[in-house]
Amino acid sequence: MRKFIAIVKREYLQRLHSRMFLLITVLGPVMISLFGIAPALVLSIKAGGPVRIAVVDQTGKLYQGIHESVMDDTVKRESRQDQITGSVANKNASERLQQVGEQQEGRYELQEVRLEGRPLNEVKKELDRRVLAKQLDGYLVLPLYLLRDGKPEYFGRNPGDVFTRKFLQDAISRAVRQQRLAEANIDSRIVEELSEPVQLDAMRVSATGDGVRDSGEGFALVFGAGFIMYLTILMYGQMILGAVIEEKETRIGEILFSSVKPFKLMMGKLVGVSLLALTQLAIWGLAFAAFALYGVGVLAARGMPLNVPHVPLIHFVYFGLFFLLGYFIYSTIYALIGSMVTSAQEGGQLSMPVVLFPLIGFYLFLPVSRSPDSSFAFWVSMFPFFSPMTMLVRIVTQTPPLWQIVLSLLLGFGTVALVTWVASRIYRVGMLMSGKKATIPEVVRWVRQP
Amino acid sequence: MTDSAATVVLRNVTKRFDDFTAVSDLSLEVRAGRIFGLLGPNGAGKTTTIRMIVNIFAPDAGTVELFGKKITPATQDRIGYLPEERGLYKKMKVGDQLRFFAELKNVSGKEADTRIDSWLARLKLSQWKAKKSSELSKGMQQKVQFITTVLHEPDLLILDEPFSGLDPVNVDLLKQIVLELKQAGKTIIFSTHQMEVAERICDDICLINRSRKILEGSIREVKRGFARNAVSLRMSGGEAVLADCTLVSRVERHSDGLEALLAQNASAQQLLQRLVAAGAGIEKFEMIEPSLHDIFIEKVSEAE
Repeated sequence: MRKFIAIVKREYLQRLHSRMFLLITVLGPVMISLFGIAPALVLSIKAGGPVRIAVVDQTGKLYQGIHESVMDDTVKRESRQDQITGSVANKNASERLQQVGEQQEGRYELQEVRLEGRPLNEVKKELDRRVLAKQLDGYLVLPLYLLRDGKPEYFGRNPGDVFTRKFLQDAISRAVRQQRLAEANIDSRIVEELSEPVQLDAMRVSATGDGVRDSGEGFALVFGAGFIMYLTILMYGQMILGAVIEEKETRIGEILFSSVKPFKLMMGKLVGVSLLALTQLAIWGLAFAAFALYGVGVLAARGMPLNVPHVPLIHFVYFGLFFLLGYFIYSTIYALIGSMVTSAQEGGQLSMPVVLFPLIGFYLFLPVSRSPDSSFAFWVSMFPFFSPMTMLVRIVTQTPPLWQIVLSLLLGFGTVALVTWVASRIYRVGMLMSGKKATIPEVVRWVRQP
Repeated sequence: MTDSAATVVLRNVTKRFDDFTAVSDLSLEVRAGRIFGLLGPNGAGKTTTIRMIVNIFAPDAGTVELFGKKITPATQDRIGYLPEERGLYKKMKVGDQLRFFAELKNVSGKEADTRIDSWLARLKLSQWKAKKSSELSKGMQQKVQFITTVLHEPDLLILDEPFSGLDPVNVDLLKQIVLELKQAGKTIIFSTHQMEVAERICDDICLINRSRKILEGSIREVKRGFARNAVSLRMSGGEAVLADCTLVSRVERHSDGLEALLAQNASAQQLLQRLVAAGAGIEKFEMIEPSLHDIFIEKVSEAE
């Protein structure tokens, strides 16, 4: 036991005292928030002046409407907000991009160009000239019968600017719709009022008969837990890899193996690095909790209503267990890779595909949450590489029988022990056969060797 | 332990890696309180033999006994092993590092600390205790590695090329420590292909080549078996005596004297008397013993 503790202590303290640990602990949250903010910041950079667009309105009725909706972007943003609250979970990349693009609104300058009896071609030639001379950025031509059919056309120096295209299309649609309603003698404000979307309340059916309202906190928690799990695996998996390779690069292995069993050594490394990971996560968690409490306090002081999530306590226990399982499953895989290779560089290459598995597990939460009691959901929640994520989803959506949860945990931790054992066998022989990378048949023989 | 007790006994030990046989049917005994030289050219199977003694590998056939018992993890703690492939944790301080290795041998941290200080002082490394090992010179690192081998006061020391890369001053220092450990009753297995070193400190040797034992015994016995009956000479005059075929069969001349191989039935005593009688001025007259180096080369090339 003293040997095992000595190994754990060394792995833990050596890393804890390193400058790298301090740096990542302090800069980690900063980096993560930068990842969140940076894209928005970059996209909102206002390069160049406003986009100047001329409008040739052959209908003679739409320019006013378009101009209004371009200038009046506050109205639009509100209506957009309604749509967004309707689909929080499904906010995909293109939608987010669109939102960012909207921050650019209000940066358009419109001017009307009347035909005044001139032929359209002549006016277009004139406008082409102005666009090329950079007096304009582009122009719109609205056909005479646009209110019935036909397509408006946009001519510009930069027709690839998707934001402008989408924006103009929206503005024209809106103006056309309003004009059509007006011509049918319908008040457009009434239409807007009547088009107010509906909010759906979801209740969980329980044995007691009274439906418990489920506002999706559990779901958000699973999502958050999955995300943290994924990040943790990525970060500390690499650290485990490094820890296992360390003795190969420093040629200490032989001395260690003459003092301690490879399995003990491997376990010591896993536990040591894991304690470090827990330390770091705890520091971040506490800092986050402190901020959150402070925020809650401020809101409460201002008399704001608080929406405290109600998640059953047992769910937190499951989160803890499956989080540990997910972490250990993948860290032992990293250890296994570390035991097969001879340098950190090689290890990095070989560990690339490993990243894919937790990612698949993460995305499996969609099909599993849709039908949590299907046999598909059952099997993926038993498969150790996906179970940490998928079983959590099942627990939150429609808690499976206890035996399934226990079985999933047993299978998972059994796999952890097995992978560690295999890794430690490979580790011992691989370390002493320094100099060349192992082939798969060799590795199989190493595992069998006494 | 009595004088004749064997610390390590290998019986018909064989170890194969895939289709390569590293050690084949090797039997040997390392007697307690003696320095045992495990000699052989590169790739002979020395390291594999040692790895079976320290319980890193299990033999495919045969048995290994330590201190009269089968090896267990507990016997590992009574061994101090300095492998040829050795390193230190680069970013760890020397003191912490030594403590870690002591704990791996089941020595408590407190106990280790006092021993660490005295060993560092002995090897003139005290002021380096708080330095990271990457700041140490190669020779200093090697001395630190040596300390890790002896810190837990093992009964059996296994030193694989312990002096390679050290300057003569440090070689002498370590050699002295090794001899002291022997005085204190420790058993030492010493693996090397530097024959001059082995010759000076080993009591017994075992020469292995291509996975097999080809020679064993105490240094004295081995040398006696290889006596060449030659004399190293430096003198003026007396050339006529050397030309006598009944006395000298061959003469090898060096820049600083010559070597005379005696003819059969001739003795060094006779040669000396004849030279003195012939009026030669003798500066040096010495019987040449075969060096371990010569024996090594002869036996190994014989086996090729």
